Amino acid sequence: MITIVSGLPRSGTSLMMQMLAAGGMPILSDGERVADADNPRGYCEWQRIQQLAKEPGCIDEAEGKAVKVISQLLFALPIGHSYRIIFMERPLLEVVASQAEMIRRRGTTGAPLTEAALIAGLKAHLNQVNAWLAQKRDNLVTRVEYHSVLGDPRSAAGKVQNFVQRELDIECMARQVDSSLYHKRIQEA
Amino acid sequence: MSAPAKKVLLIGWDAADWKIINPLLDQGLMPTLNEFVNHGVIGNLATLRPILSPMLWNSIATGKRPDKHGILGFMEPDPQAGGVRPVTSTSRKVKAIWNMLTQRGYKTHVLGWFAGHPAEPISGISVSDLFPYAVAPMDKPWPLPPGAVHPEGLRDTFAALRMYPGEVSEAAILPWIPRAAEIDQEKDKGLQSFAKILSENCSIHNAATWILQNQPWDFLAVYYNVIDHFCHGFMHYHPPRMEGIPEDKYEIYKDVVNGAYRFHDMMLQTLLDLAGPETTVLIVSDHGFHSDHLRPRGIPLEPAGPAVQHRQFGILCMKGDHIKQDERIYGATLLDVTPTILTLFGLPVGEDMDGRVLVQAFEDMPAITRIPSWEDEAGECGMHPADLRMDPAAAQAVLQQFVALGYIQPLSEDQEKAVALALREQQYNLARAYLDSRRYQKALAIFEDLVGKWPDETRFMQQLAQCDLALEKRAEAKDLLRKLMTLKPKVRGSAGQGGAPREAEPRAETNANLPAEAMVSRKPAPSEEEEFKARPWADLLMGIIQFEEGDMDAALACLLKAESADPHLPDLHLRIGETYLRLKRIDDADRAFQRALDIDGDSPEAHLGLAVVRLRQRRNEEAAEQALLAVGLQHFLPLGHFHLGVALARLGHINRATLAFETSLSMLPGLMAAHRWLAALYRQPGGDLEKALRHQEIFFRRRREVRAQA
Repeated sequence: MITIVSGLPRSGTSLMMQMLAAGGMPILSDGERVADADNPRGYCEWQRIQQLAKEPGCIDEAEGKAVKVISQLLFALPIGHSYRIIFMERPLLEVVASQAEMIRRRGTTGAPLTEAALIAGLKAHLNQVNAWLAQKRDNLVTRVEYHSVLGDPRSAAGKVQNFVQRELDIECMARQVDSSLYHKRIQEA
Repeated sequence: MSAPAKKVLLIGWDAADWKIINPLLDQGLMPTLNEFVNHGVIGNLATLRPILSPMLWNSIATGKRPDKHGILGFMEPDPQAGGVRPVTSTSRKVKAIWNMLTQRGYKTHVLGWFAGHPAEPISGISVSDLFPYAVAPMDKPWPLPPGAVHPEGLRDTFAALRMYPGEVSEAAILPWIPRAAEIDQEKDKGLQSFAKILSENCSIHNAATWILQNQPWDFLAVYYNVIDHFCHGFMHYHPPRMEGIPEDKYEIYKDVVNGAYRFHDMMLQTLLDLAGPETTVLIVSDHGFHSDHLRPRGIPLEPAGPAVQHRQFGILCMKGDHIKQDERIYGATLLDVTPTILTLFGLPVGEDMDGRVLVQAFEDMPAITRIPSWEDEAGECGMHPADLRMDPAAAQAVLQQFVALGYIQPLSEDQEKAVALALREQQYNLARAYLDSRRYQKALAIFEDLVGKWPDETRFMQQLAQCDLALEKRAEAKDLLRKLMTLKPKVRGSAGQGGAPREAEPRAETNANLPAEAMVSRKPAPSEEEEFKARPWADLLMGIIQFEEGDMDAALACLLKAESADPHLPDLHLRIGETYLRLKRIDDADRAFQRALDIDGDSPEAHLGLAVVRLRQRRNEEAAEQALLAVGLQHFLPLGHFHLGVALARLGHINRATLAFETSLSMLPGLMAAHRWLAALYRQPGGDLEKALRHQEIFFRRRREVRAQA
């Protein structure tokens, strides 16, 4: 069994990975992408997952663990494993604003689209991801709203525990949610 | 009133051409088609430009031009895997005929259509264009790609209907290539290409016959690409032997193209037997294929370059209840196929469709109903959900966003190049589609952008210059031509040039299926240095500008210079003829238009030019004949109808002349001379004085406006 934390970039995937780690779930992360202003507590990422399309076998290393697989990379998940997918959801307006801020800090160049066009593009992308998820009936999927995690971390942690069918430390998971930090960033967004 | 057809079978023969079919019919080598045409109607099917099959087959299936249906070339960015992929059904923006029929409750099947992957969830069976491709050796598993068959429950059934290239036996090869044993297969991959193409089309045919035998159906569309692929691979071996083709290779492969047509004739017999006599059958091709002295000397080194071998007329054959028998129809375009099928089923035609119903094919005028658009019709139509149909360019932008955020690896250099090339070619094809439909302003904006981004691509500058000319921006066109004259010749295969990146080239039109020997043995295109020195097309364009500026002597000098460098340049002799006409050198004009017809006997413009010549010579009957030929070849030819009207009026056929002038005005309302003629004709006894006065008023008003502008 492999636990996948997925969603759009900036939809709360790092927060969910931090919660799982705090709750006692082994996570697959290499620490290469260090904490920064966008994610002060770190990204909990495993850089090799970016090679998934070319090296689908690399997912073997995540057996029994949780790993972050951004929505775009879900299409490359190979068959032959049993996946439980925690899919993070956040209002697209916030996602786009947060992405814009991150791109500004990184000094890179994002999509050459207006905000409205980018939101439309992300919606279409999510529809394709949802269609893919619906096709892969062997995979179990739960959707977790970013704001419900911030509003009621314990309930969210409990829901995740039930989904992964593993004893987790709910209190430790809930403590990972520094609501003041996230609320501040939402306001910034 | 009941619909004219109970069932409709639409058969697509990519690249089929009367120029090859007619001799085979005469020799009795296509007996099924011969029987078919004797009991149905036939005609040319005018294509659209650019002549690229994915765009054309989707225009056939939708009745709409490419800017509306959204399939703009062979390749598109792949937002899931990165890089590029063949164009998909999720990129088509509008309903195809099988969606419209699904929506109205008909049992509908479609097989192998271009841009048909993933298979659409229509009421019947949909088999995508990726279904037949053999991607593994015979001893290895050959799984169907996901989404190749709808419904999913028939996946295994259809997987078993496929044929491996290795199953093409000697017995199957010898009728086509009797001297196959002489081929050194280590050096010459011709046989492998042959087996691959043949097996893929047998897979499609197996699927079609299985459906006809095992499924209820009202409509079946099936697409075969054997002719197109064999023509791209073997046409240079087709008789008569082309200069530069070795005799031994010619002897081995000379029968392959004819064999492809005979093979289709056999498959047609099976389809007709299974479909039954109550079925109305249409056989169509998206374009023809040069098979004579017009075969190009080489293939341009640019994406989809092999399309230069395509001819502007495909075929149309149609047979069934309520369809005329043993008649030829004129003026059909591939945009007319879907409106005609809708009418056969008694369904309305969308007013937003660009085609029209081929009423001339029906024994009696069919009842034609209309709705604003099928796109607004509610109900399940078997398209992919709207949210799955994503603009590939927008999908690519989202991917770029994820890369910028650091969550996705950047595309490799090759992938990036392929994506950029695919997007660029889509824009180029869109602009050419606008140019083809005379929407010059829209084309202009895109060509200007392309020239700004790729200033070394001479084809972009050339198209921009033509667009400028169409918009009467002669100074801009001249500037571009001068700029082109100063460009240094390109180095073949250098990065960023049209011919360099082969990976984005289309599957169907690429040289991948060519025998390796053929690739090296055929005469190459003139070197770019040679072309650059000659620049005949630049002289042609400059000649057109001089013509439009009224300097006929300068125009003629430029055009004759172009002729001395490349006498086969498209449209050149037409322009020379028009210039001679303006110079009142009627006999020279006559010779120029005859020369244009020697090169291409199906040129509507050449027949039109001859019609004008005959009118000047007061040979009115011949003028009418030539004008009729012109509008028969291309119905949307306002000056063709106008000159037909002049000839008929002189011959005293007042009613027919009136109709011809009215037709010309419906296409070109500003045609002042047609108003003048109509004003005169409607004044004749038995005419319509009110109409006469109206046309007279329009004529005088337009003349005042023109004089005021002058």
